[in-house]
Amino acid sequence: MSSHTDNDPLEELKKTSTGVENKKLAMWAFLASDCMFFGTLISTHLIYRKVYPDVEDVIDIFDIELTGFSTFILLMSSFLMALSVSAAHKNNLPSMRWCLGGTIFFGLIFLGCQVYEFQHFVFDKDLTLSSSIFGSTFFVLTGTHGVHVALGIFWLGSWLIYSFTDRYKRENALDVEVAGLYWHFVDVVWIIIFTVVYLVEYIEF
Amino acid sequence: MSKRILPIWAGLMFLVMLISIPQCTFSGDGRWFNIEGQQSALDPKGPIAQNQADIFYLILWVTLFLFITVGGALALAMWRFRERKGDDPNYIPPQSHGHPLIEVGLVVASAALLVVIAIPTFGGIILKKQVPVHLEADAIEVNVTGYQWWWGFEYTEHGFYTANEIVFPAGRAVKLNLHANDVIHSFWLPKLAGKVDLIPGQVNTMWIKADEPGYFWGQCAEFCGDSHAYMLFRAIALPEDEWNEWLERQQRETIVGNGDYAPVKEDIEDRELVLKGAELYAQHCARCHSVDSRLQTMGPNLAHFGSRTSIASGWMENEPEELHRWLKEPHKVKPGNFMWYGFPDPSDPSRVQMEGLKDADLSDSEVDALVAYLYTLQ
Amino acid sequence: MSSHHSPDSAAAHSEPTGLWHRPLKKTGWVGFLTTVDHKKIGIAYALGALFFLLVGGVEALIIRLQLMVPENELISARLYNQLFTMHGTTMIFLAVMPLSAAFFNYIMPLQIGARDVAFPRMNALGLWCFLLGGILINMSWFFDQGAPAIGWFAYAPLTDRQFSPDIGTDFWIMGLQILGIASLVGAFNFITTILNMRAPGLSMMRLPVFTWMTLITSFLIILAFPAITIALVELMFDRHFGTYFFNVDGGGKPILWQHLFWIFGHPEVYILILPAMGIISEVIPVFSRKTLFGYPLIIFSGAVIGFLGFAVWSHHMFTTGLGIVATTAFAFLTMLIAIPTGVKIFNWIGTMWGGRLRFTTPMLYAVGFIWMFMMGGFTGIMHSSPPVDAQQQDTYFVVAHFHYVLIGGSIFALLCGIHYWFPKVSGRIMDETWGKINFYTVFVGFNIAFFPMHILGMTGMPRRTHTYKEEMGWAEPNFWATIGALMLGFGILSCIIQMIYSYYKGAKSPNDPWGGRTLEWATASPPKEYNFAYTPVIHARDQVWEDRHGTPEKRMDKIAPDPEHGIHMPDQSWWPLITSFGIFFACLGIVFFRYEFTFFGSLSYTNGIGLLVVGLVVTLVGIVKWALEGPGGYHLYPDAEDMEEIRQSQSKN
Repeated sequence: MSSHTDNDPLEELKKTSTGVENKKLAMWAFLASDCMFFGTLISTHLIYRKVYPDVEDVIDIFDIELTGFSTFILLMSSFLMALSVSAAHKNNLPSMRWCLGGTIFFGLIFLGCQVYEFQHFVFDKDLTLSSSIFGSTFFVLTGTHGVHVALGIFWLGSWLIYSFTDRYKRENALDVEVAGLYWHFVDVVWIIIFTVVYLVEYIEF
Repeated sequence: MSKRILPIWAGLMFLVMLISIPQCTFSGDGRWFNIEGQQSALDPKGPIAQNQADIFYLILWVTLFLFITVGGALALAMWRFRERKGDDPNYIPPQSHGHPLIEVGLVVASAALLVVIAIPTFGGIILKKQVPVHLEADAIEVNVTGYQWWWGFEYTEHGFYTANEIVFPAGRAVKLNLHANDVIHSFWLPKLAGKVDLIPGQVNTMWIKADEPGYFWGQCAEFCGDSHAYMLFRAIALPEDEWNEWLERQQRETIVGNGDYAPVKEDIEDRELVLKGAELYAQHCARCHSVDSRLQTMGPNLAHFGSRTSIASGWMENEPEELHRWLKEPHKVKPGNFMWYGFPDPSDPSRVQMEGLKDADLSDSEVDALVAYLYTLQ
Repeated sequence: MSSHHSPDSAAAHSEPTGLWHRPLKKTGWVGFLTTVDHKKIGIAYALGALFFLLVGGVEALIIRLQLMVPENELISARLYNQLFTMHGTTMIFLAVMPLSAAFFNYIMPLQIGARDVAFPRMNALGLWCFLLGGILINMSWFFDQGAPAIGWFAYAPLTDRQFSPDIGTDFWIMGLQILGIASLVGAFNFITTILNMRAPGLSMMRLPVFTWMTLITSFLIILAFPAITIALVELMFDRHFGTYFFNVDGGGKPILWQHLFWIFGHPEVYILILPAMGIISEVIPVFSRKTLFGYPLIIFSGAVIGFLGFAVWSHHMFTTGLGIVATTAFAFLTMLIAIPTGVKIFNWIGTMWGGRLRFTTPMLYAVGFIWMFMMGGFTGIMHSSPPVDAQQQDTYFVVAHFHYVLIGGSIFALLCGIHYWFPKVSGRIMDETWGKINFYTVFVGFNIAFFPMHILGMTGMPRRTHTYKEEMGWAEPNFWATIGALMLGFGILSCIIQMIYSYYKGAKSPNDPWGGRTLEWATASPPKEYNFAYTPVIHARDQVWEDRHGTPEKRMDKIAPDPEHGIHMPDQSWWPLITSFGIFFACLGIVFFRYEFTFFGSLSYTNGIGLLVVGLVVTLVGIVKWALEGPGGYHLYPDAEDMEEIRQSQSKN
């Protein structure tokens, strides 16, 4: 925090008892907690899927091509996120901005797909929060994930804008990395949701 | 002064404790520990409650042993190593960090004591869940349904319903299928068996058996809304011949089947009053309370009400004055009850689906007529 | 004490930071509302918690008065149900947890030699969320149907709109959500602080036990709270948007609520008791003048208790018709918890054995804790056995059990901690005679209040019942329980009065009045703003004890601060307070989402969406401004007295 110009400011932040920066450690603690949030939601969904396997014709409702596409997009955004963190650590701002912008763009595509999917389910397939227990668990689970993505876009967008101001400093690379941790986590959670909510429905028993 | 007030206060406090705690192990009428109280789990009258009380006592002895040994060590340490007057205030005792052998030894000893508890526990879990083979053959089956705030009993083999009093033969196992109509309740007959919850959307099972004929009290043990405290019931274990007689009586009609609810019973003193009661019944009660024992509607089935021992789901004894009070002002007996306020519409709880006695505004003489009528339903 | 703002932070100050410039005033309302000092925040937590302890205590006393005689008509059944719901909620979430958090905040950074917690502003957010959450829950009393009447574990489907149409339930749901945020941000902060900000040489196995228990408790919080947060979200959706999570008509399973609740609820029990065990493990060695017996084992068993806490939740559900295998597994796992708990008790006795015991007020509470916790633990073993539990579940036996653990355990330990650390916090010592009189009143009152409940439970009295019939034979124990409860209430009140009195009028205390062992006793009482003028270098577990009695090579080294830069201190901020108000209004918006009320005879309803949007915007603005403002900081320089101390210690070594 106090400016020792002769040292790498990022190395300064690592001078903690564990050698991990405070912000990163707190983010890991938050992600551990967030795992439990999603764990609870996913298990609620799976329990009710098991209890009521035939409550909706799920395969008829789902549009797996679209969801597969948006999953792929979200995965690619994680790739760009990794590039932006790497660029931030090298203090290569133009590259970081391009990659952050790409991450946000892909995130927005994902979110757009989800909004389209939701309105398609509600208006074309009559699946709503209160149409059946499947609707309840599905919308609350994927909706919570959508909120996470939206918050992530907001967060990354803030850093993108901030990086154009002269207040952006070398040690802010850590903040971009911490936001990246969150973004990767949200992505990983989607892979799990995509698998256990969408893909397993297509397994023929 | 201030130096002496402390020992005086401490002594006084412990004196109060020594007097009051033994005091409360007596019940009001001088029996020790209220051990034979209506709902005492320590006065078992059936195999499951017996088993549960046995395990309780076993654990009580084990923990008492622990309390005496560990507590004894603590008390000894407190006494022996206390700082006495005139001790060197700068004395430093030897700083021992711990001793692995002592630690491991104590862990092993406590684990061994847990095994002593665990084995009968496992036996108890199995016993509660499964009717033993030798009792299976002549077991009877009853469906129990919990409502806010009363109990419905359906004798499936005979196809009739009753409410708030479960009757069964002594010496035979009774298999109970537990349902709930609205919220979670819990079926608890302390002298016969520990509780099992009645949960909407699922069916739990349990079984009970009374070794001898007897009269038992039970109560809902899961918080279920305003009148949870008033949701009691009674269980009556009958000798075999009385049981058969009871079964036979429950399947008899109690009203003439022509729609005006007149009782079947012939020898009635004040026939006019009873017929007025029947009319009132048809007008105000019949939509919720069936008097046909084969039919279950929203309220407790009243087909053989006159032969029951309790009213208001076990809260009051079945006596005319009590019944009068119950019918006149049920909301003062059981807060929030639907008989008075009417039955709320499930989709919009602020509206009433069926009107209650609040809107009937019964006079004392009308209530008398209803009371007279209800007692003809035997 | 001299202070000046370093160039980099001064630059931050001159930049426009929006609505307000960064607050600098340390005193008065501004100083209080914008503080980021862990000590001030700790005291605020304690004051809030003690206030709610009194509120919950009054609720308990009304409950006891109602049950004093059979068929009493002092209060209505509905009010009774509201009182026990709010009593449980208040005591757990608003009294015991924040009182523990007060100690985490105040003591833990001192014990690890840190200047503050890792994220001082987040710490302030936790405080404000706790206070506003408590206010939100208690606001329900002022609406037409009053507080919720659902019990603190709020079993579905009683909480569905069909059975609880009142707005009190919505207040309860959203209030708990805010309190969840408070606990979670606190826990992230404490984990980071303990793992990352230990003084040089303070390895994990030299950490004071209280700090260890703070760490374990924080992990329990971050892993357990999500379960109830999601359960509450699902319940909120059921109530406002017609989903079917717990609605039986739509296929919901009420039993799911119980699982989710107790996956949170059982670790929560250890969240309440582990800090207490930490306090006891600090106090007993000090007043036995011996090092803690079996330190590694105490730490290890604390961790095992925390871990097993996640594997036993269904023992709260033995009567819900679980299968034989599940019942047996949960029963045996529950019994296993007796072992690490027993280990702790053995070790406390081992610590006392061969020591020189000084029965000061904190020590009396500590020993009282061991006795009462043993009682509560033994009854706990009883209902770890499902056959016994079938009789005891939901009876006064269980009420007796958890009050022995939570009052005889947690509250005794917290009172012990208050008496023990009061000189550190205030620089004044609480009067011993008065303190001991309080202890005997509390101890005896507590036992008279709760011992009879064992008898009530075994003779069949269900809990949460507004009244009982005389012929049940429960009159005598209930009468004495009420007498005891009044004594207990009187004792606690006297304790609180004594605290207030001692704060202003108590005898002045030296820095270390007890002969303490851990690092917090090395600094001034009350500690200066920067806690330690020097960076302590730790060489032993009981560092302060070693400084006094140990060999020279184990003495603490004191590194003086860089004379140029001084001691870096975090800046104050408005944004935690503003953000917490944003959260508060957003939650209030959800409470009022569709609240119907009669206004001059016509049915009206509120639409909370406006409030929700305003709240979310304020929250978002608060967070953004918070981020833009940055941690800031200014530098302090230790005063001459401190510098002299450092110089002396350096010349000695």
